[in-house]
Amino acid sequence: MKTPDLPAKTVATTSAPRKRPPRGDKIAPYLFVAPFLILFLVFGAYPLIKSVILAFYITSGPRDQVFVGLENFRFLLSDPDFWKAVRNTAVYTFWSLALQVPLGLGLAILLNSRWVKGREFFRLAFFSPNLVGQVFVGVLFSVLFVPQYGLVNRFLHATVGTPLDTRWLAEPSLVMPALVMTSLWMYVGMHMVYFLAGLQAVERELYEAATIDGANSWGQFWHVTLPGIRHVLIFVVLVSTIGSFQLFELPWVMLGRSPGPDGAGLTIVMYLYINGYVAGDLGYASAVGWTLALGLLIVSLLQLRLSGGWKG
Amino acid sequence: MAGLAVASGVYLATRRGQKQTADLRLWTFAKPHADAYVKMLSDFLRRHPGKTVDIQIVAGEAVTSRLQAAFWSNLDVPDLVEVEISWAGSFFRGKLESIGFRDLTERIHKTGLWNRIVQARFAPYTTRGRIFGIPHDVHPVMLAYRRDLVEKLGIDVDAIRTWDEFVEIGRRVTVPGKRFMMELPPAGVSSFEVMLFQRDGGYFDPQGNCTLDNEIAIETMKYYVPLVAGRYRIGNDLGGGQIFTRALEDGYYLFMVAPDWRTKVIEQDVPKVGGRMALMPLPAFYPGGRRTSTWGGTMIGITKRCADPDLAWELIMHLYLNKEALAEQFRNTNILPPARDLWDHPAYDEPRPFWSNQPLGRLYANLAPQTPPQYTSPYIGLAKAKLSEALIACVDYYDRYGARGFDGFVRQQMERAASEVRRQMRRNPYLHENA
Repeated sequence: MKTPDLPAKTVATTSAPRKRPPRGDKIAPYLFVAPFLILFLVFGAYPLIKSVILAFYITSGPRDQVFVGLENFRFLLSDPDFWKAVRNTAVYTFWSLALQVPLGLGLAILLNSRWVKGREFFRLAFFSPNLVGQVFVGVLFSVLFVPQYGLVNRFLHATVGTPLDTRWLAEPSLVMPALVMTSLWMYVGMHMVYFLAGLQAVERELYEAATIDGANSWGQFWHVTLPGIRHVLIFVVLVSTIGSFQLFELPWVMLGRSPGPDGAGLTIVMYLYINGYVAGDLGYASAVGWTLALGLLIVSLLQLRLSGGWKG
Repeated sequence: MAGLAVASGVYLATRRGQKQTADLRLWTFAKPHADAYVKMLSDFLRRHPGKTVDIQIVAGEAVTSRLQAAFWSNLDVPDLVEVEISWAGSFFRGKLESIGFRDLTERIHKTGLWNRIVQARFAPYTTRGRIFGIPHDVHPVMLAYRRDLVEKLGIDVDAIRTWDEFVEIGRRVTVPGKRFMMELPPAGVSSFEVMLFQRDGGYFDPQGNCTLDNEIAIETMKYYVPLVAGRYRIGNDLGGGQIFTRALEDGYYLFMVAPDWRTKVIEQDVPKVGGRMALMPLPAFYPGGRRTSTWGGTMIGITKRCADPDLAWELIMHLYLNKEALAEQFRNTNILPPARDLWDHPAYDEPRPFWSNQPLGRLYANLAPQTPPQYTSPYIGLAKAKLSEALIACVDYYDRYGARGFDGFVRQQMERAASEVRRQMRRNPYLHENA
């Protein structure tokens, strides 16, 4: 259908010079963005810029500062404790992803199927650990893991015969498994909720078409479900990675406000906290913070590239 | 939101110069201290009409983080603060003039306090020769034990003079997994440092140099590890709180390290063993050697923001040196005050039913003059962490290989721990300035 041309008069009317808006209208947009801008400048931009500057100083509190150039970064890269923190954080991140993501997805598929009774209850039950903070969970699990009398040891002793006095939080090799188990309990429900939302957005017709084409359950999962929730999967992996790299409260509480035996629970953020707020060297802590930010950026970009997340 | 942020900023900025509600504000982390001080205040206020004192409890570790933040921002700084011994060093990191506490060295000498208090107790609150805190306590250490079980096993505690004798008995009566001679952590350093201090060792020397790799520390490690590792270990540790309560009730440990403050913890947390507990001096490392050590402590300091330091000083003298009030405080806390001339009060000779009617105060007071010093540094936290790493490595080695090559391994670990502490210390440009 052809669109009729507008009469010349109408065109002339619409292109007539506009009236100058009142003065208040000019200011209004700035007023609207001002709250965000002020807050961002005061609590976002200023600390960021300040921390960049601080990273080049050795400090004792905010007043005593000595410029040292790149010394903080040089020291950081040669500090065995920093590398221990990096290693611990990487191990925690790996195991968290390796266990939480498949388990969260499995639970979501299970609770998305119609034949499971009481799905709403189970969804709430699995998600509920997320309603309490890491501090609460840390206190709870530090009691569950105690030797001799703790429920974990009692259960394992009764079922697989492990010693009752297994010191989960005092034995360097057991600290990380304890942390991973605790975070599994805490976060698997949250991943499940993300995946559930993704699963519910996958069109039913695709499954029906796959069934007609002769796809079995595995084929449906591989060719329909996974591509359908790809974006959720990328999001969950990315968020989990960033969250794992920021791990602090859980080990800090579970290990009695310390990095644990042999620093087995030392994470990068804990290392930052100890240097900044216990030792008082805000400059060094800033250098750690920026190194962490850079590391996270690289890991996130790598993940996005490997998963094809760029393509949208 | 922006309005709220601006209003808060303006409020905080203008509040800086405002007068606080009380003339003196004291922060403490220990409720028993606060309770005792509140009782003692009326006398002080009677002698200082028109003055007011506000005693505030700031929970545990929050004292340190809040105080550090208060010093840095120069906001909400109290006049007096009690700081736990292991955290005190963290306030001494920067330039001497930047330390948030007032230098009390001259006052301590001028008032004769230096000679009244067990001098070793000033060490943790001293940096670069200047004293920034008054010790609240001495915290000598004894061994607490389950008297009923020990007697049943035929152990004569009076005959135990040295650690060697103690260990020999321990190897006879320990049943791994069921009963241990002593509560000794294989990963934490709390009991290790008790032994280290007992031998005149420590983390740092009086000049603040790290001493983790000196002969005393190495020998202590070589002595301690076989007590918690290998086939013939006599010690274990399950943890604190309710677990400790259960373990002590069940007779899992026979003996445990007990500074004066911990006897009150045991009384409160394990009431079931009342009347079945007793105390003995630490065994010595050699015949005739020191029979005590030290664990824990608290200092009180006057901050630089305090407007009336003379009044604050008088309050400290009242709270820390008032004989009658401190005797009463001792009855409630079992904590021996730091000044020697206070210990002749009858309260310290009272028999304690919980401790099999032993005169708890006198037992500790007799040992208190021998309490060893523990020198500190802003790097005390790091030193403790490195010592703990070395201990864990040594325990692991001993579990695997026993005594073979153990001496060399211990030396290597201790040297590594010390060098990492020194490496961090070298970065601090303020630490070697002269007082």
